[in-house]
Amino acid sequence: MSPVDPLFAFAFIQTFIDILNEYFGNVSAATLKDNFDVVYQLLEETLDSGGHPLTTSSNALRDIVLPPSLLTKLLNVAGANITSSINSGSGLGSGPFSSPIPWRKAGLRYASNEIYFDMVEELKAIVNRHGTTLSSIVQGRIETNSRLSGTPDCQLSFTNAQVLTDCAFHPCVRLKRWTDSKVLSFIPPDGRFTLAEYRYTPNHASTPARFVNTSTTPSAPPLNTARDNVPIPFALKTNNELESNGGNFNITLTSRLTTRDIENLVAELHLGEGAGGIKCVTARGGAADRYGRGVEGIGASWAFDPNKKILRWEIPLVSPSSSWSLRGSFTTTS
Amino acid sequence: MSIRAPRKGENYELSVDLNSEYREKRKDAIKRTIASMTVGKDVSGLFPDVLKNMQTEDLEQKKLVYLYLMNYAKTQPELVILAVNTFVKDTDDPNPLIRALAIRTMGCLRAEKIIDYLCDPLQKCLRDENPYVRKTAALCVAKLYDLKPELVIDNGFLEQLQEMISDSNPMVVANTVAALTDIHNAATAQPSTSSSDPGIFTITSSILNKLLIALNECSEWGRVAVLNALARYVAQDEKESEHICERVVPQFQHVNGSVVLAAVKVIMIHMRNVRREELIKQLVRKMAPPLVTLLSSPPEVQWVALRNINLLLQKRPDILSNEMRVFFCKYNDPLYVKVEKLEIMVRLASEKNVDALLSELKEYASEVDVDFVRKSIKAIGQAAVKIDAAAERCVNVLLDLIATRVSYVVQEAVVVMKDIFRKYPSTYEGVIPTLCANLDELDEPEAKASLIWIIGEYANKIDNADELLGIFVDTFTEESYPVQLQTLTAVVKLFLKKPDSAQGVVQRVLTTATKDCDSPDVRDRAYIYWRLLSTDPGAAKVFETLLEELLGEISSLASVYHKPEETFVGRGRIGADAVRKGTDVSDDRFSTQKALQTVVAGQQAENLLDFDDAPAMEGEPSGLAATQVLSQTPAAASLLAGTSNNPLDDLVSIFGGGGMVVSTPAPGFGFGGGSAGFEAGLSSVPATPSMLAPQTPAPPLQQSQSQSDDLLGLF
Repeated sequence: MSPVDPLFAFAFIQTFIDILNEYFGNVSAATLKDNFDVVYQLLEETLDSGGHPLTTSSNALRDIVLPPSLLTKLLNVAGANITSSINSGSGLGSGPFSSPIPWRKAGLRYASNEIYFDMVEELKAIVNRHGTTLSSIVQGRIETNSRLSGTPDCQLSFTNAQVLTDCAFHPCVRLKRWTDSKVLSFIPPDGRFTLAEYRYTPNHASTPARFVNTSTTPSAPPLNTARDNVPIPFALKTNNELESNGGNFNITLTSRLTTRDIENLVAELHLGEGAGGIKCVTARGGAADRYGRGVEGIGASWAFDPNKKILRWEIPLVSPSSSWSLRGSFTTTS
Repeated sequence: MSIRAPRKGENYELSVDLNSEYREKRKDAIKRTIASMTVGKDVSGLFPDVLKNMQTEDLEQKKLVYLYLMNYAKTQPELVILAVNTFVKDTDDPNPLIRALAIRTMGCLRAEKIIDYLCDPLQKCLRDENPYVRKTAALCVAKLYDLKPELVIDNGFLEQLQEMISDSNPMVVANTVAALTDIHNAATAQPSTSSSDPGIFTITSSILNKLLIALNECSEWGRVAVLNALARYVAQDEKESEHICERVVPQFQHVNGSVVLAAVKVIMIHMRNVRREELIKQLVRKMAPPLVTLLSSPPEVQWVALRNINLLLQKRPDILSNEMRVFFCKYNDPLYVKVEKLEIMVRLASEKNVDALLSELKEYASEVDVDFVRKSIKAIGQAAVKIDAAAERCVNVLLDLIATRVSYVVQEAVVVMKDIFRKYPSTYEGVIPTLCANLDELDEPEAKASLIWIIGEYANKIDNADELLGIFVDTFTEESYPVQLQTLTAVVKLFLKKPDSAQGVVQRVLTTATKDCDSPDVRDRAYIYWRLLSTDPGAAKVFETLLEELLGEISSLASVYHKPEETFVGRGRIGADAVRKGTDVSDDRFSTQKALQTVVAGQQAENLLDFDDAPAMEGEPSGLAATQVLSQTPAAASLLAGTSNNPLDDLVSIFGGGGMVVSTPAPGFGFGGGSAGFEAGLSSVPATPSMLAPQTPAPPLQQSQSQSDDLLGLF
């Protein structure tokens, strides 16, 4: 036997988890137990006993393994047998795997034709202790929910396509069209899928490298690499005093946005082994506050997870340029 | 066989329900049976009852029954025979799903008796009109080959698979390739394989074209299979290599990481034949983004990606030259990811980005994880050795770290300083007093040995060198061997530089070492073996070949271990022996084998390090094989030939040269860095090392291991 490529195995496991999620909504011991027959069938269809993944496209899978639904359960109770009537159709025409496009079901029909795109972006950044952004990357993906009849040929064009770099696409996207004219041209699978993943690269003309100047270490070279850092929408400053068996901390968070709010902001602080006895006060304000003194943080809250040793600080709404603080103390056992 | 269950209990109830007249009740009973089977209860007694439910229109029910059969086929094959008829009948079913399911299940049963019934239906299914059935049947052939190769050959299934590469459906092509590759692997795994074995899957240029067409249309898993086959293809000429590269490049944009890595592998392999600089540049430029994208995956995937990136960087340092920031460690990265990132950052370090790197490494050195801190400090040293212009800044950072007085930080910094002194002799002498001031805090052998080396090297610049070394001579017998060896050398150096004041010390240390020391190494010729095993001038070349070998394995386990497959799969343990029998083949092949041999030897050495007593090791044949490798190499040969009358003169020639260890930035794996500097010294090493080597195999190996770690660490 030759060894399997490790990424191949990881990729398959991830795909299988995604399939389970799609079938059952979430994956837990309980859902697996309740639907063990479906899980078995899915395993059978997705992985061959020799280790070759088989059908993993959810469009094709739905044809051969029926997802559990209220309807099938009801019908089962009523004694009707929907499964056999669907599955026993002869191979040609409308049967499974008859679609000429491997990722799309044939013969779909919707009353209203709709397709939705969600662009989900994540900003990952490393900031040093002086507040300088060392690296920040925005990774995005286009989540799509397609409910279109027949065999639709879609085109998605962007006004500013050059900010999307390092793209990875669903197999349905015609790569050549993208390379030539930066247009996403595709025949979508049915249902939910990820159309593309990309890295956001700021447009050089419109965003001057503004964080270069804030660098506090004079010897640091200007960040004139091909990909400039993406500005972080808020600043986080910490002030810690450590003692032998605990310490105080004072964390200030300031929004750098001038016009827009930040919603549902959550800050997680990893405290490490032995941390405990957390006491915190969260407040809005600081010097910038026009009331002159710290106002009790409206809606802001904190919680400590003693298992993961994580302190969570949640602020539901951070208005432009506002500043928030979390002051508190902790003790350590070791 | 089927003992009926007693007329009560769970199994009895199930049996009743399985025979119920209501379809839904029967189906429910099958589910319950499978549930019992899953939790480990014995439901084999229900076999006949379950079997009755096999003939059904309901596909779901059929699948569950098949599942039950698969589970018991291994333990009770005679029962499964009863089901054969239904299976064969199902392969004629009008529903393609049932046909495919039946042929797939028959392939999985792995019962000898069933197999004989498999051939006819398989023959039919391979020609089925439905592509789903054909692609399922293709994989079934590989399974049959695994059980009974002669059946596959006699029935002409192999020829049929070869034809199916031209199938109109890309998924069928992909599965056919996967099946042929499986058969190829199974056939070549046999020790007696000849090149005419029918199982061998040779990719011709007409197959190549079909693969390239199927590549863009099949599923992600199919793409990996096709790409792996492409990696095996030997291109006829440069034009063909270029063609393959151009066709494979779009795969970089696939979301599936394993497709990306498999594509990188194909490109790296076929790029060897590409001469057009412009195209190479373009390929390399396109390779970077997908690799960086992999770094946003979960840590375990990241790690695999990082290991592969590490390998790629050794061959093509320019791939990610602008992307060092991507590899900065996040606070919540697991240690294994951080360590790998560190290594890559050092590889990417250049004059342009070294400041950013240093400030980052300095941060890491103040983290809580001791391992990570040490590795970060090591990385500072590596950066200093790599980039001349940055050495001074690195030294300053190290001094800052030493000032923290944290024990392990100081010790590691001392070790690193030693390496910097070696690379830049007599440049940073101003640092020496600071280092000596920390003498009392050192308790680890490596740190002690490093400081002693520094004292010995700069004995004439340190006023109280004899005093400092005297401290170590006093405790000589209590120290570990590396420290003893280093003390010995340092004292002799001191003596050569200050003959008057050091006479007493050198007398004392030589007496202690020869009389009271229990290590033959230290006692007799420790100082000679100190650099012995790393002096193979062929080593640099050997590792170049190894790198080529590993690059051919991108994305596989081999690339993760950084060891060729042969050393850890199956025959690994006896790899050295297996390799030896093929020594008469061509030169190129030979050097690859030598590389393998060296790695195997290195592995042995690693394992040997776990044991402390020498006798146990003498029995280890591969340990001796490792020493044999050495005697074949030119350096060792010249070593054998060399003679000398005065050992002290040799000492001078070995150590007098000082910082030669890292004199040249070696290509590839960096093993050979020391070779150039050492040749001179070694040609005059006293005779009979070959006699000594077998007597004390352990210490030299140990030395070589730590030495090579040391050297590898530097690059």
